[in-house]
Amino acid sequence: MAGNEEGVRPTGTGRSEAAIARLKRSFAAQNFVLVVLFFLLLFMMPFAPGFKGWMAGQAALVIIYIMAAQGVSILTGYTGLVSVGHGGFLAIGAYTAALLTKYFAIDLALGVLAGGAMAGFVGMVMGLIFLRLAGPFMAIGTLGFAFFVGAVVNNVPLFEGRDGISLAPNRIFGMQIDDVGFYYVCLGFFALVTLFVFSLVRSGVGRALKALRDSEKAAQSSGVNRLFYRTLAFTISATITGAAGALNGLIAHYVSAEVYSDIWYSVDILVAAVVGGSAMLMGPIVGGAFVALLPFFLETLADFSFILKGVVLIAVLMFAPAGICEVIARPFRAYRRRRLERAAQGERGPERPAPPVAMVRKEANP
Amino acid sequence: MTLLSLQSLHAGYGAVRALHGVSFDVAEGAMVALLGVNGAGKSTTLKVISGMVRPTSGTIRFEGKALEGRTPNQMVRMGVAHVPEGRKVFKDLAVFENLRMGAYTRKDSAGVKQDLAMVLDLFPRLRERAKQLGGNLSGGEQQMLAIGRGLMARPKLLLLDEPSLGMAPNLVADIFSALRRINQELRMTMLIVEQNAHVALKNTTYGYVLQVGKVALSGASEQLRRNKEVVESYLGGQG
Repeated sequence: MAGNEEGVRPTGTGRSEAAIARLKRSFAAQNFVLVVLFFLLLFMMPFAPGFKGWMAGQAALVIIYIMAAQGVSILTGYTGLVSVGHGGFLAIGAYTAALLTKYFAIDLALGVLAGGAMAGFVGMVMGLIFLRLAGPFMAIGTLGFAFFVGAVVNNVPLFEGRDGISLAPNRIFGMQIDDVGFYYVCLGFFALVTLFVFSLVRSGVGRALKALRDSEKAAQSSGVNRLFYRTLAFTISATITGAAGALNGLIAHYVSAEVYSDIWYSVDILVAAVVGGSAMLMGPIVGGAFVALLPFFLETLADFSFILKGVVLIAVLMFAPAGICEVIARPFRAYRRRRLERAAQGERGPERPAPPVAMVRKEANP
Repeated sequence: MTLLSLQSLHAGYGAVRALHGVSFDVAEGAMVALLGVNGAGKSTTLKVISGMVRPTSGTIRFEGKALEGRTPNQMVRMGVAHVPEGRKVFKDLAVFENLRMGAYTRKDSAGVKQDLAMVLDLFPRLRERAKQLGGNLSGGEQQMLAIGRGLMARPKLLLLDEPSLGMAPNLVADIFSALRRINQELRMTMLIVEQNAHVALKNTTYGYVLQVGKVALSGASEQLRRNKEVVESYLGGQG
């Protein structure tokens, strides 16, 4: 075989492979520590001086946006499917929690779980339908789903249309909670979801999803069950967004068709996932915070935020299609890659060329 | 013993019919070529066997079991691996990770390790590039990688779609000699779709020629190479 033109490189010995594995483990541990520190910071936030009650409410809303975007990012980032209708799952989560709270006075935590479960179930059924559609057709299908949910909550009497469902103050484990309490509830669910996504991506399921995303034919001919894993991804994605929807309904003690039949929720959380970078853990966190906080920064120009979101989305798709986080992470990844390469070359030390004779002489006779 | 048996298989894509009653057998341990011009239905036949395309009628028997309508992942588990046309590799995975992916359905990690070493022995080029990304390989190397990935499933039947497509002639010879070694040493049955009839008939034991979705000719590869019709249509005239 004509293999000499590019210089034959031996593959690593056992020693370098162990060093590389050790380095990779330490990188994963560093990532994990950073995530833990981030959550610790969020946990301490209400203790900061000047932090007022209503700020906790706003911070909780940001977290809810982030969670909804995390749901979307499982689809867009790890399976490459685009859903323009996740607002529908947000609405299903919100209405499930609201109705259960109104008629059965269930606990807040149970409401969130029920909202997620209901959205997940509908997501599974929808997944089985949508995954037969390819590319843009699936996007249009999911858009239709969001409109369908909107029409249902507007017109079916159970959902009380535009009058909306008003709820009593929230109680969790029997205790009544205020805005700060609700912030901690949101933070808890946010941490759970983040931990779940973190481990999902590194599991066999995550690998199967990424294999299908990168090359569907190759993955299938390796024995990856396409329909099963895609439906699973759709179910997980809908569950997370549904749980966020339940929190979104409960925080306001009010759920109405005026809010949830609107398509903009779907667009917002998709923009959040794409702008941040949906194939990364931090992506939907940064993107969700951006989309949720933009109207605040614009203050009186808040109506302007839709235009700005559009501009940012176009700019991101043009200059950083993998998301803002990918650009931020690039130098860190390059640094880590260099360290891995150095570890891989480490064992070839003895093969390094000896220094030129002249140099050795110079050192010998100063 | 017959490993695979197709009986009057019909299949198509929407309104287009690609197969009009394909019937043939593949004996266990054989190396069989499937020849024909573009559009004769060669690739479709492979896709029907591996479950990527559903047949509209007809039967597929593999080890005596009926197989029509199974999904590709079920087929891999039953021992049929498909190396699709056009170098479908995972571009963002390293070469050895691509190969491990081929063993996705296997549970015997010791056997997988052994087979990984075997594939790297078989294709030294892949060993040299074991840690590079699949997307950075040359076309020929990607083809080797796709074949290696198919081997990693340790199938009873390996389906190869155009293994020589767009490859330098010396690499084609290398690949076919590697396939012959696998066929002999592991008794792995192979069904190979090829445009390059010359190479295919030189390296296989038996051949089928498809014409507009039907088997038009069949025979031992040696005989087909001397068949007047085959020589004129597929081997470039005077042979």
